Amino acid sequence: MAETLTSRPTLAEADAHQAHAHIDADTNTGISNTKLGMWLFLASECLLFGGLITTYLLYKHPLEGPTPHEIFDIPFTSTSSFVLLMSSLTMVLAVSAIERGEHQRMRVWIGATAVLGATFIAGQIYEFTVFAREGLGFTTSRFSSAFYTLTGFHGIHVTIGIIMLVSLVLLSLRGKIPEHKAETVEIVGLYWHFVDVVWVVIFAVVYLIPS
Amino acid sequence: MTVTSHDNVPTTVLDGAVKDYSRDKVYVLTAIFLAVLTIIEVFTYAAPDFPVWADELLIPVLMILMAVKFFTILYVFMHLKFDKPILTRLFYMGLVLAVFVYIAMLSTFRIWFDGKHG
Repeated sequence: MAETLTSRPTLAEADAHQAHAHIDADTNTGISNTKLGMWLFLASECLLFGGLITTYLLYKHPLEGPTPHEIFDIPFTSTSSFVLLMSSLTMVLAVSAIERGEHQRMRVWIGATAVLGATFIAGQIYEFTVFAREGLGFTTSRFSSAFYTLTGFHGIHVTIGIIMLVSLVLLSLRGKIPEHKAETVEIVGLYWHFVDVVWVVIFAVVYLIPS
Repeated sequence: MTVTSHDNVPTTVLDGAVKDYSRDKVYVLTAIFLAVLTIIEVFTYAAPDFPVWADELLIPVLMILMAVKFFTILYVFMHLKFDKPILTRLFYMGLVLAVFVYIAMLSTFRIWFDGKHG
């Protein structure tokens, strides 16, 4: 029995010796339907965020109200961006931990990811509050509508990600994420990294590129 | 050698093979690399007259930095580098479609030209 088990490759062994590191699912593609579905969903999300970013680019020169670079606080947003970027590191370390069967460590990294995500959201709420106080409401201008819709949609995605992370920790505490279900953590991780990737684009296009 | 995803393989019987091998160091180095790129991005805001990105080079430099960060996360953190090629193709289908559709839309609104867009 032990010999049968040890003769099978793990993710880590596959990674060390093969070009493509993954354990094949019993589907036509060798990829589980859940994972394939998540990648398909992420591909469709490119169209959603592409549309929102394009709308922002079209409306970024407001005819009334404050202009983007009058109100943006780049040092503050840079710190938020850094926090979100680091959450991707903690997320990938969580996936790595569950692949090794280290449940406690996985929960710690996922908890850290959720805390970093919550910090980012808190920063976004603070930023929106400051903007509103400075006279930039949702209906102030086409720029403000496009800005709040784009960054707000991203914030909603981060919030959904935090809910998924907390659910993962709760499931893990109840023993419902054994090693052979490590892919569940990976799939949530894919979503989380995508949210980070979208912010990489928003940060450059919305905040850093001058008008 | 193929293992189905629902096979339960206890890591305790793997003679330490899993413990010995870790990608964590690669992930930490990648995060440091991404942090450095972010610092450079912010520096373009703090010092817009820096010779490397002065005048018309600022936007291309920011776009390149953004693209490098985007694909680094995609390939390392999201495991596209290690995963089956079909996933890469699937994601690129959405990404390329989005890029083309929205370039067409921005062109329709003449965003590439100076003057009024209306």
